[in-house]
Amino acid sequence: MKMANDDLARIIIGCKDGDAKCFAAIVDMYASRCYGYFYRLTGNNDTSDELLSELFVKLVEKIGSYKGGSFESWLFKIASNIFHDHLRSKQRRKKLLEAHHGQLEAEKTEQARSDGEQVDKLQIQLRRLDADTRELVMLRFYSQLSFKEIAKMRSEPIGTTLAKTHRALKKLRELMEG
Amino acid sequence: MKDRDKENLNELLEKLFDGEQARNYIEDARKVEQILRQYPAPEPDDMLIANIKAEVVMRLPVRRAHLARRKLYEVAAVAAVVVLAAFAAVRLFDEPGPGRHVYSASLIPKAIWESQDLAADDENLAVFQTEIQQIEEEMLALESDDNSSESDTAITELEMELIENSSDFWKG
Repeated sequence: MKMANDDLARIIIGCKDGDAKCFAAIVDMYASRCYGYFYRLTGNNDTSDELLSELFVKLVEKIGSYKGGSFESWLFKIASNIFHDHLRSKQRRKKLLEAHHGQLEAEKTEQARSDGEQVDKLQIQLRRLDADTRELVMLRFYSQLSFKEIAKMRSEPIGTTLAKTHRALKKLRELMEG
Repeated sequence: MKDRDKENLNELLEKLFDGEQARNYIEDARKVEQILRQYPAPEPDDMLIANIKAEVVMRLPVRRAHLARRKLYEVAAVAAVVVLAAFAAVRLFDEPGPGRHVYSASLIPKAIWESQDLAADDENLAVFQTEIQQIEEEMLALESDDNSSESDTAITELEMELIENSSDFWKG
């Protein structure tokens, strides 16, 4: 583990110096987990592709602002911000659609988008959780962060994070086993 | 990952929940993790990863330019601080403090040194200055075209004076 941390530290220094190979190493190390995080939150491959690309572009732009500490926490904070930006723009688009074509048309579009992909049982049940709860569970699973780090990232007391996660885990388990 | 492994979840939960709730929490968490592993999310395809890496490479020159500009600003800022510090140090050490006095003695009396009218302060200088003024006036008179007749007269007078002196000389 110590060796892995040293390697990561060296790779991050390389990234800060603008070394393309180090950025490629970061992409290889985190693409899968970040993609899983985006996919489970959006349920859409194309959107996940876009968000993942955006994440690594942001990484290039922001690597200078990483001042140590948990790299996963820093990276997933960016990922979370990107996801929230996506949600906001989706809300705006939805409002525009509703204004122009009515609610029915907007729902049809969403439905068509979902039908184009094979969605597993987990994805269907995840949709039944609210966005914040869903994100909390996915953050814990894909970022592998401690509750302390997750609470800090979300700027909330650790007790709140644990209580929310508890409700989310219980509900998801019931949905999946029911 | 390191922090999560180090985190003692049991201890943390026992602080916030009672024993039964904490046990349920652990059991729910274990079960959900098992479900999430059972239903893995799709992997990003190789083409996407290649495109991301290519885009990163494309954006690196921009980042390098940004870094270079930032370094330049840093160097300029450091240079400015050094110059200001040097200036402040020079001011600090050059200015005699309240307890420091510089003693000096002048060879020339202070009254003359500070006077604007040197001739009035020194007799020799007054004579010398008068002679200079006379020579200047004579020179001006000789150089002037308007006074050509006068200069001729002066030359004639000089010649007569010379002849007179010569005669006196031969007479003994």
